[in-house]
Amino acid sequence: MSFLYPLFLAGIAAISLPIILHMIRRNTRKRVTFSSLMFLRTTVPRFRSRSRLENLPLLILRCLILCLLAFAFSRPFFLRAVEGDQIPFGKRVVLLIDTSASMQRIGMWTQAVNEARTVLENAEPTDRVCVISFDKNAIMLIGFESWSELSPGRRVPVTIEEISGLSPAWASTNLGNALVAAAETIEDDEINDRQQISGQSQVVLISDLQQGGNLDALHTYEWPKQIELVVKPIKAKGNTNASMQLMAKLLVTSNDYQARPDNENQLRIRITNSADAIVEQFKLNIVNVDSAGTSDKSIDVYVPPGHSIVTNVPSGPKSITGQKIVLTGDDHNFDNTLYLAPNPDQQVNILYIGSDDDKDPKQMLYYIQRAFQPIGTLKPHLVSRRADNTLTDTDIISAHLIIMTEPLPQEHIKAIRREIESGKSVFFVMKSADAASTIAAITGFDNIKAEEAKVDEYAMLGSIEFEHPLLSLFAEPHFGDFTKIHFWKYRQIDIENLPGARSLARFDNNDQALFEVPLGKGSLLVLTSGWQPTDSQLALSSKFVPLLYSILEYNGVFDGRQSQYFVSDNIRIPQQGTSVPTKLQIRKPDNSLIDLEPGQQLFTETQLPGIYSIESPSGNHLFAVNLPAQESRTAPMSLDDLEQLGIPIQSSFGVTLEQTRQSKLHSSVIEMESQQKLWRWLLTALLVVLIAETWLAGWLTRPAILTQGEEK
Amino acid sequence: MTKKGAASNLAKNNGNADGMIDPVSLMKIKSMELRAKVVVEGFWKGIHRSPYHGFSVEFSEYRQYSPGDNPRYIDWRVYARSDRFYIKKFEDETNLRCHLLMDHSRSMGYGSGAYTKSQYAGTLAATLAYFLFTQGDAVGLATFDDQIRQYMLPRNRPGYLRRLMLTLEAHPGGGATDLGPPLKRIAEIITRRGLIVLISDLLTSLERLESDLNYLRASGHDVVIFNVLDPAELNFNFRTPALFQDIESGRNMYVEPSVVQKVYERKLDKHLSVVKTTCRNLGIDYHLFATDRPFDLALLEFLQDRMHRRKKIRHVKASTARRTV
Repeated sequence: MSFLYPLFLAGIAAISLPIILHMIRRNTRKRVTFSSLMFLRTTVPRFRSRSRLENLPLLILRCLILCLLAFAFSRPFFLRAVEGDQIPFGKRVVLLIDTSASMQRIGMWTQAVNEARTVLENAEPTDRVCVISFDKNAIMLIGFESWSELSPGRRVPVTIEEISGLSPAWASTNLGNALVAAAETIEDDEINDRQQISGQSQVVLISDLQQGGNLDALHTYEWPKQIELVVKPIKAKGNTNASMQLMAKLLVTSNDYQARPDNENQLRIRITNSADAIVEQFKLNIVNVDSAGTSDKSIDVYVPPGHSIVTNVPSGPKSITGQKIVLTGDDHNFDNTLYLAPNPDQQVNILYIGSDDDKDPKQMLYYIQRAFQPIGTLKPHLVSRRADNTLTDTDIISAHLIIMTEPLPQEHIKAIRREIESGKSVFFVMKSADAASTIAAITGFDNIKAEEAKVDEYAMLGSIEFEHPLLSLFAEPHFGDFTKIHFWKYRQIDIENLPGARSLARFDNNDQALFEVPLGKGSLLVLTSGWQPTDSQLALSSKFVPLLYSILEYNGVFDGRQSQYFVSDNIRIPQQGTSVPTKLQIRKPDNSLIDLEPGQQLFTETQLPGIYSIESPSGNHLFAVNLPAQESRTAPMSLDDLEQLGIPIQSSFGVTLEQTRQSKLHSSVIEMESQQKLWRWLLTALLVVLIAETWLAGWLTRPAILTQGEEK
Repeated sequence: MTKKGAASNLAKNNGNADGMIDPVSLMKIKSMELRAKVVVEGFWKGIHRSPYHGFSVEFSEYRQYSPGDNPRYIDWRVYARSDRFYIKKFEDETNLRCHLLMDHSRSMGYGSGAYTKSQYAGTLAATLAYFLFTQGDAVGLATFDDQIRQYMLPRNRPGYLRRLMLTLEAHPGGGATDLGPPLKRIAEIITRRGLIVLISDLLTSLERLESDLNYLRASGHDVVIFNVLDPAELNFNFRTPALFQDIESGRNMYVEPSVVQKVYERKLDKHLSVVKTTCRNLGIDYHLFATDRPFDLALLEFLQDRMHRRKKIRHVKASTARRTV
């Protein structure tokens, strides 16, 4: 028999107490009546000789009670063969190696490889090891099965060789995602390999633990309690790290241009200094991207540790290959280059089909002309044509956005429909109820009728589909109030007969205000009211211009025009706008050329920071890829941040295999005892003995007959 | 068989080898008067076969013949027994007024044998009363604990003895022992000189014993004390530890006899010594009596005391007369 808590057996020594008490016990049961106590004195009880122990059965019962109590507390059990002796007590270890951009700092990767080597060399032959590298994504280098398949003698060398082939890239750090992947890898291995029950599971994290590491994935993940995290922090030499981000230019209109003529050549740059920085002064140099040196003119900036400033930097001479801003003065230069792609002017052709006078404020063209003004590199080119023979197919084809306010002749209907079907969206404003025929002609559904609505004073927009991309920019509560826009006139039209028609906005009486009819790849957007003052207050509201630019964006006018991206971003390839697909290639910063598939819409190989070029027969389009800002937050995070997310952390491999084996054995023993539960039987016996002792003690101490000096 | 016959047989058959009546057997006689009669008559008969060689028969009823005494008063039965001439005294030579003071405190209710001290003391008192009554002396009785409970004037009238016996048979239900108030009161009550026989266990504080007894001696009384104690009180022959309870106060005390026996004996001896000394100093006859002693001896000792006292008185008187002459 064994005992779970043998120390409690020391309680058996307590049986000496009743023995002693029985030996010194006063015979208070014997009472003697005496004439006078004047010659007597109280006697202190003294020990009796062993042979004079009284009430031996009672003594035995009391000793038995104490023995049973001590035994019960010691939790005895019968030892069976422990299954754990047959189980190899190995660990499951996932080695997580940080290969994010911040690991490019001097000396850090070497440290990481050395740490990984140490972990692998300390692995026991019974351990199962998996190696995962991570930055923005987690990539398994060697799985548990691969490890097990290797002979024990080859496991470590092969794995180290694989790790040596790694190097930190330029992506950001998604630490949360990597930890979740590691934990799930362990859980999957436990499920798949039940015959090999390991005693311990660990995730060994080799990382700089920068504060910029994304932990979002851990917030919604319940970390398995049996998996410990062992952290091997990689420390950089030098704490100061400053970084740059390109800020958007302030909105400049043509009027402002007059006031601030230099804004066009200014770049707004945010410089951030790390929280643990020592240096506060830095220099900025803007040079061409293929230039290795610095410019004569440099800008000094002063940034306190943990702070950031925004400063205007002159953009310098224009370059068709792009520019870069180089920051000097900090300890780490992996994030000291900000690439700037040239941002050429973008001409946006807007075709207005109508007979309006652009100088008449009572007509719609007047407001369109004022809405589409040059902004930054955006150069809207408004072309106004009447719906007659002055309108050409070329006008229609070359337009990025077509706004129609009058019924079209049949010959132009086909061209419009063709453009819609190719992917454009045409914006049609129903000036009168007759416009229904144009809708019918374009959509091909004749049964479309409209009539002038009878408006009582004015109508308001009552229902708006903010989920639609066209109106999503108004989804914010402070942007989504359309109640101040009054409509005096509109056309009532029933779109139930238009298959696929989707209402985007309704008046408060449920009549259609704005709806979309999909045709091919594009769609026909119909506004049932004009925006001129005779129809509504729309043109005079603050939502008019954003609505028009939203239509432009919905039209894909701005696709492919973004010039600044981050590493690992997916780049949307700008559409050619022709029915004949052309071959495109992308030149990466390392000068490698990637062929794009015809019709390919996304380019994902943005692992390198620098200037990329989309090369096509019609010309090149450049875009810049920079490091994500959070990757420059290199100050190390506190382990408390991980612990607060429920991850048990161990600072090092503190538990030996022997300890694990002992722990496993103890767990088996506990399980064995909990199955047998002998303590319950002991407590039952204790109760029985206690009852017997109580009865016997009561029987023995029943009141004695007083004697007149006679002893019992 | 009549009670008288039974008592006679008892005296005849249960006398020990020395001719004394076994108190245990005597106490089986329920009637106090009969017990007393048995003792007294047995005493008389016992004188003839008295083991007390050299025992003096000069008790109050007889005196040795002196030349010049009237031979008509010679008791020829005594001569036949002892070959000596004894003159029977005249009644006027006694004419005693005896007051029996009986301690009826609760401590007298203790007894380790078949009878209590109170029963023994009562029998002793009854024996003395019977003896004196038959001698023509007046006998009175007072019972007390911490105060006089009952008092009977000394009388020698028909039927009075029976009343005395009945009073003596009463169970002691008194409280604690306190000699002072009762003795003081007796001294106030008894105006004529006489004999006071105090029968008590004297288990009380002795601080004022001398002053308490002096109440009586100062009044000119002859005082005899019979200190009646149980053999267990004298020897403390208990063996096992027990909770001893005081019969008067009810107080309990855990006592291991083997530990306290010597202390007890020492204290008891000291107590008795103080009593004896006090009595001697006051000229009081003191007799320590265990309740297992034959009553005959009590009577004998009592009579010896009386004879001794008479001798002293005659000697004093003779001395006084010679001086006067």
